[in-house]
Amino acid sequence: MISLQNIERIFQVGDEEVHALRDVSMTATDGDHIAIMGPSGSGKSSLLNILGLLDRPDTGSYELDGVKVSELDEKEQARIRRHKIGFVFQFFHLVPRLTAFDNIALPLMLAGMKQDERQARVTAALAAFGLGNRAQHRPDQLSGGQRQRVAIARATIMQPSVILADEPTGNLDRNSGIEVVEILEELNRQGITLIMVTHDPELGRRAQRQILMVDGRIEREAEG
Amino acid sequence: MQIQDFFRYTFNGIRAQRLRSFLTTLGIAVGIGAVVLLTSLGEGLHRFVLAEFTQFGTNLIAINPGKVTTHGVSGALLSNVRPLTIEDTAILKQLPQILDVVSVVQGNGAIKAGGRQRRATIYGVDASAARVWKFAVAAGRFLPDDPPRSARSFVVLGSKVRQELFGSNQALGMRIRIGGELFRVIGSMESKGQMLGFDLDDAVYIPAAKAMALFNRESLMEIDLLHTAGSSSSVVAEKVRKALQARHGKEDFTITTQEKMLEILGGVLNTLTIAVGALGGISLLVGGVGILTIMSITVNERTGEIGLLRAMGVEQSQILTLFLGEAVLLAAIGGLAGLGLGVGGSWLFSLAVPALPAHISWTYVASAELLAAFVGLLAGVLPARRAARLHPVEALRAE
Amino acid sequence: MQIRDILSFSLLAATANRGRTLLMLLAMAIAVSSVVVLISLGDSARHYVIDQFSTLGTNLLIVLPGRSETTGGPPPLLGATPRDLTLADAMALNRARTVRRITPIIAGSAPISVRSLEREMLVLGSTSELYEIRHLALSQGSFLPPGEPTRAEAVCVIGQKGKKELFGNQPAIGRWLRIGDRRFRVIGVLSSSGVSLGEDLGEVVIIPVAAAQALFNTSSLFRILVEATSPEGIEQTRKSILDTIRVRHEGEDDITVITQDAVLTTFDRIFKALTLSVAGIAAISLVVAGIMIMNVMLVAVSNRRAEIGLLKALGASRTQILGLFLTESTILSSIGAGIGLVLALLGMRLAAFLFPQFPLQLAPWSSAISLGVALITGVVFGVLPARRAADLEPAFALMRR
Repeated sequence: MISLQNIERIFQVGDEEVHALRDVSMTATDGDHIAIMGPSGSGKSSLLNILGLLDRPDTGSYELDGVKVSELDEKEQARIRRHKIGFVFQFFHLVPRLTAFDNIALPLMLAGMKQDERQARVTAALAAFGLGNRAQHRPDQLSGGQRQRVAIARATIMQPSVILADEPTGNLDRNSGIEVVEILEELNRQGITLIMVTHDPELGRRAQRQILMVDGRIEREAEG
Repeated sequence: MQIQDFFRYTFNGIRAQRLRSFLTTLGIAVGIGAVVLLTSLGEGLHRFVLAEFTQFGTNLIAINPGKVTTHGVSGALLSNVRPLTIEDTAILKQLPQILDVVSVVQGNGAIKAGGRQRRATIYGVDASAARVWKFAVAAGRFLPDDPPRSARSFVVLGSKVRQELFGSNQALGMRIRIGGELFRVIGSMESKGQMLGFDLDDAVYIPAAKAMALFNRESLMEIDLLHTAGSSSSVVAEKVRKALQARHGKEDFTITTQEKMLEILGGVLNTLTIAVGALGGISLLVGGVGILTIMSITVNERTGEIGLLRAMGVEQSQILTLFLGEAVLLAAIGGLAGLGLGVGGSWLFSLAVPALPAHISWTYVASAELLAAFVGLLAGVLPARRAARLHPVEALRAE
Repeated sequence: MQIRDILSFSLLAATANRGRTLLMLLAMAIAVSSVVVLISLGDSARHYVIDQFSTLGTNLLIVLPGRSETTGGPPPLLGATPRDLTLADAMALNRARTVRRITPIIAGSAPISVRSLEREMLVLGSTSELYEIRHLALSQGSFLPPGEPTRAEAVCVIGQKGKKELFGNQPAIGRWLRIGDRRFRVIGVLSSSGVSLGEDLGEVVIIPVAAAQALFNTSSLFRILVEATSPEGIEQTRKSILDTIRVRHEGEDDITVITQDAVLTTFDRIFKALTLSVAGIAAISLVVAGIMIMNVMLVAVSNRRAEIGLLKALGASRTQILGLFLTESTILSSIGAGIGLVLALLGMRLAAFLFPQFPLQLAPWSSAISLGVALITGVVFGVLPARRAADLEPAFALMRR
């Protein structure tokens, strides 16, 4: 359960103030599939950053599963990111010097899980995402689609309740893109809330709810 | 490329990464600062020691009995079968180019005046000692020019002995007892301070013959002579050698000229300064590795820029000079800052230890700055060459 | 996060950029090895001098004539005194309970000749006790015979080098030599114990003290060496020496007593201070190496913004990021220090090989020093970059590709 109330976010760029989010309120129930759409600079990514606790709103409140997370300190926010939120990025953000296995294991490692426990979980995840024979490859030895699958495996390894995806297909060819979207939708069907930023209308239509952002505001919301 | 454009461009590169450039120059600055400070201290010590040694004048020659150079101790310390005598002194006095000669006997004993007593160094010398050693008399006069064998029992007090025995009372004309014999105080010396740990003020001066009787010995421990300023000390030393050899039949004495001693001492101190400077140089070496590292990082990061420059028709040699220039500029700025650190440090040191003033040797300073620039050049060569050899197409792709 | 994970993650990150890492290690290694080598050299020199001085004797006290009142100044090593230290004074010291043995010494320099060969050498007038007190060793013959010190027997013991110069390879025992205008029979040759603190025992001739008195026409002793029965007895002995001489010298304190301990302590202190200051100068290079590590770590932080953002997105806290980067800089400085330690070890081995006459070796606590230095450098100079990394805003860090 996600609930945003009257969120404002202002950036200082040079001498100018940029109003990234203006009075944004939204809710999402567990298992929702939401697409956030809009032109460049409309505040989609800023909204996603707030949702992912990567950024703090200037005003307004954010409640996640009944906890006012916008008021938590840095350490507790990190804990929530670790356990409840999974991120998928347009540019994958894999650590280049780590193998696919180690990249997927990163969240477990940060959570302090022992190596032998990790082994089983990561191996299972690699198999589940069709990467069984790619465990010891480094990102530069993987195709774009494979990289994004590693990223999704990493995002889901902690069994989060929400996946936040920022243009997950933006850097992929059409076939790999469809493949990745199908994986994400399958995860959504298993009950994970999926919030995706995209400006691909076709991708947006596949979502249960579409939120259109313009100039830092939610312009309109549509169902199905 | 115009020279000012060249400077503007390289300087811009350095300014673009302020913190990084600051830390790089700081590394060089600490190295240069260490070298400058340490050589300044070395130079200061050098001057200090030389000043200590030349406070008795520079045209001095000392003659000691025995040829005991292997043991590293002065012959005066030991007993000797063929001693130097007061008569030797008299003979030497007649040699040309010699201004003054002093017989020296040195010992230690109790000096008593009234109810007070102090143990101090006793020097048995001649009237000429005040001239040869450049002593200044504070009150009264120095020992008179008596015939050496029948000198009167006069004593001149060092400033500390005078203070300890008489305090603020009148000392001149008083009688004091040295080792059982009575001496009349005819003068007291101005403070000479310490020389290499020996307190020259904690001493009394009596005629040499009296000291020999006091210490129950027949020979002198040393003869010091002062030669004319214009004459070469080695020539004079040779004449002294001949004269003494004629008297003794053998060369059973050791001649040390002040000039030779200063030469040896100067050599030792110079080596010390260079050694200490070299220790500081280790830091400079590490700083050089620092420039090398940062310059290779810079080349790496600016691959795209290099490609662009090449695409616009900049030659390889120009790229090389640009990056070399940046490295040298970094090092030179660091060097200048290091000079500031070193000079400031020396100044602070001089304030803290006024007795041992650090002396900034501008030769060392200039060579340190040159060294810094050279370090920059050396450290810049590898990265700059890599930059120059980048293939323009590859380089542009990196952007 | 598990310690093992922190270490392996940081190690991988630290070594990802090979050229840069090598240069940093080089800088650190130069700095650490120069510090360790200088400390080791100083320490070796200290041991050498102290060992040399210890071979002079055990529980040794040295009595010299004269006393100076200048505090902190050197003892009156030079010069004469109105009242001599005599053979009778020396014998009187023997009565104290804590004294094991004493020996008087007259030192002088005189020409020694065998036929037409003549050498100027150090002549020591002493007694048979000198042999035990100074731990001397003979290669041939016997030492001065025991007996009344006032007897001037015309015998002598000669140093190894002097023997070579005067007699060549022929046997010297039983031969006669001339010191000044007197003749002495050689009864012993010292074994070559080398130089001990400037006193070259190779070129020395030892004769009975009474013979030396006659030779140099003096009744005054140069030194009296006193050996106490035990280390605890040294202070007691010092007092009893002063008391005995004061009584014999009509109530005057006109001698100086130096204990071997005091001299050893002084040497020890001087050498430690010297070692520390030289090492301190070299340690400046550690600061430079530290600055360099900081610089490169800062570059690493700005190059790895995206990675830091990602780690934050994956739930790494500020403290974790701080820890990761601090570990990384410490790993770098530690490896560098390790290499430096090995370099220093090799350097000292080489020096020991080149100068076998000196006991050159790595100072025992070198490894502890380099480890300490590495940790301190890594942490001190790692803090700024690590804080920069930890303070990066995740959204901002991820924004740029």
